[in-house]
Amino acid sequence: MGRLLALGILGTLACAQIAAAQTGSVTGTISTTAKGAVPIRVTIDQKVCGAELPDEAIVATAQGQLANAVVILTGVKRAAGAEGTVMNDKCRFAPRVQLARPNSSVKTSSKDPVLHTTQAQLENGRTIFNVAIPVPGITISKPIGAAGVIRLNCNTHPWMRGWMVVTDEAAAISGADGRFTIDNVPPGTYEARVWHEALKGAPQKITITAGKPTEISFQLK
Amino acid sequence: MWLITLLLAATLAVSGQDQPQPTTIPEMWGAWCARCHAQDGTGKIDEPTVTVEPMDFTDCKLTTAEPDADWERAIAKGGPGVGLSPQMPAFEDSLTAEQIRGFVSHIRGFCAERGWPNGNTNFPRPIITEKAFPENEFLILPAISHRNGETEMEIKGLYERRLGKRSMFEIGVPVTNDGVDEVEAAVKHALFSNTSSIFAVGLEAAVSRAVTVFEPFISAGTMVRDWYLQGHVKVELPTDRLKAERAFVYNAYIGRDTNGSPQTWTLGVELNGENDELALTPQIRKGLTGTGALAASVGATIPLNERETRGVRWVGYLLWEYLEPWRARK
Repeated sequence: MGRLLALGILGTLACAQIAAAQTGSVTGTISTTAKGAVPIRVTIDQKVCGAELPDEAIVATAQGQLANAVVILTGVKRAAGAEGTVMNDKCRFAPRVQLARPNSSVKTSSKDPVLHTTQAQLENGRTIFNVAIPVPGITISKPIGAAGVIRLNCNTHPWMRGWMVVTDEAAAISGADGRFTIDNVPPGTYEARVWHEALKGAPQKITITAGKPTEISFQLK
Repeated sequence: MWLITLLLAATLAVSGQDQPQPTTIPEMWGAWCARCHAQDGTGKIDEPTVTVEPMDFTDCKLTTAEPDADWERAIAKGGPGVGLSPQMPAFEDSLTAEQIRGFVSHIRGFCAERGWPNGNTNFPRPIITEKAFPENEFLILPAISHRNGETEMEIKGLYERRLGKRSMFEIGVPVTNDGVDEVEAAVKHALFSNTSSIFAVGLEAAVSRAVTVFEPFISAGTMVRDWYLQGHVKVELPTDRLKAERAFVYNAYIGRDTNGSPQTWTLGVELNGENDELALTPQIRKGLTGTGALAASVGATIPLNERETRGVRWVGYLLWEYLEPWRARK
C-alpha cells in the first residue's frame, strides 16, 4: 500500500514537471511616474478608522514600482478558483484589488465595530448588490455575474474603495514591488493587457516559450 | 490561565469586538441608521456620506402611507427592493425579521401626530370598487364594450388629492363616444383605520347637462391572511327622477399579490351590482416601476344576468402616484 502511494506521488510530481516543461510563464514589473495622493483626513469613526488613512488609489515605491495593477493574458482560460473575500478592516477594503471568476460569488465581512456597507457597482454604475455589515464577524456571500470590473464602495465611509477584476482568463496582480507572475501558460503569442483603477497602459504582444519565463514590463500613466 | 486571558483579549482587540455593540432598536438606530437618516429621522445630517438625501421620516404623509411590508422589504433588500436608491444597503443577512419589524415600528414613531390612517390598509386599487384609503393619484380609466355591432367607449381621467390626515377629494371627467357630458366630483373621509381594516364615507356628485346625481357612499377594506377584501356601496340620487333613476350600487373585491415586490402581479375579482344587475370583473394588476408608483390593471366585466341586454365590458386603469418617486434614483 505504502509503495503504491509513493509511486502515485512520484507519478503526480513527474506529471507536474512535464506540464511545467510544456508551458511557460510571463513575469515582469509594472511601474509609473505618477505619485499617490496625500493621505485622507478621516472625520468619521476616528476611534476605529484612525485620524488619517493613506490614499491607496496609486500605491508605488519611491522607484515607481506600482502595486495593485492587474495583468491579463487575453485568450488564456483558467479554471475556477476559490471564492474571494472582501474584508472591511480599519475602514479599508482588504485586499484593495482582487481577481474573481465570472458567475461566481464573493464573501464580504468586517473586523470593525462600526456600520460598513459593501456596495458592488459595475462600470456602467449599476449596483449588483449592497449589503450592510453592522457588526464585526458577519460574513455575507453574494453572487457576481459576467466578466468586467466591479467597484466596491462603503456608503458610510466614502473614501473606502475596492476593486474586483472579474475574468476567466489568466491574470495576476502586481505586488508591493510592482512584480507579477503568471505561470502555466501554453506556448504561443498573446496579448497582455493591464488594468489599474487610476492609470492606463498600452497592451503588448508577448511570445511564451515552453520551460522559461518571458519578461515584460508596463509603464502606466 | 493568564495566557488564555491574554490571547482572548488580543483576539477581541484585533476583531474590534471589545467595542460595545448596540443591543436595542433605538441604540441600533443611533449607531447605524442615523448615519444617513439622522438621529431624529429627518435625513438631515451635518456630514452626509451618501449622495441621495434620505426621505424625511417625520413627514407623516410619507411614514404612514405605505404598508409595513414595503418598509420591511426596503430594510431587508435595501433601496433597490422597493425601487429606491441603491445607496440604501440590504440588512437581510445581518438582522432578524423581528429586528427589521422593530425598525419599521421605530421609523413609524418619527411621525409624532396621531390620526393618520394606517398604511397597512392602503390596499391595491380595484378597477371599479372605490378604495377606502385616501390617495394622491392620477388615473386614466378606459372602458370598451361591443354590442350589436356598436362599440361603446369611455375614457375617464381622475385626479385624487389627499386633504389633511384622513380626507381626499377627486375630480373625474369621462369622455365617451359623444364627447364630454359629465363632470364628477367627490370627497371621502376615512372614519376608522387600524392595522388591518379601514372604513370611509364619501359623497360624489355627477353633474351633466341634463341632471345632477348625488351619490353618498361607504367604502371599507380589510386584510384576511394574504387576501385583500374591499367593499363599496353607494346610492345614486338624481335631482330629477324623470331624467335619471335612483340606483343602489354595490361592489366587492377579493384579491392577493403574487409576491412582495412593488412590481408584483395582483390577481383579483370583483362582484359588481346595480339594483338587480350583477356582474363579475376578474382582473389583474401590475406595478410597472420599481417603486410601484406607476401601475396598471386590466379586467373584463362579465354580466351574470340580463345578458340579452348587456355585453362584456373591458375595463382597466393606468395609475400614477404622483407624489412618489416613479423610478429609482441613482
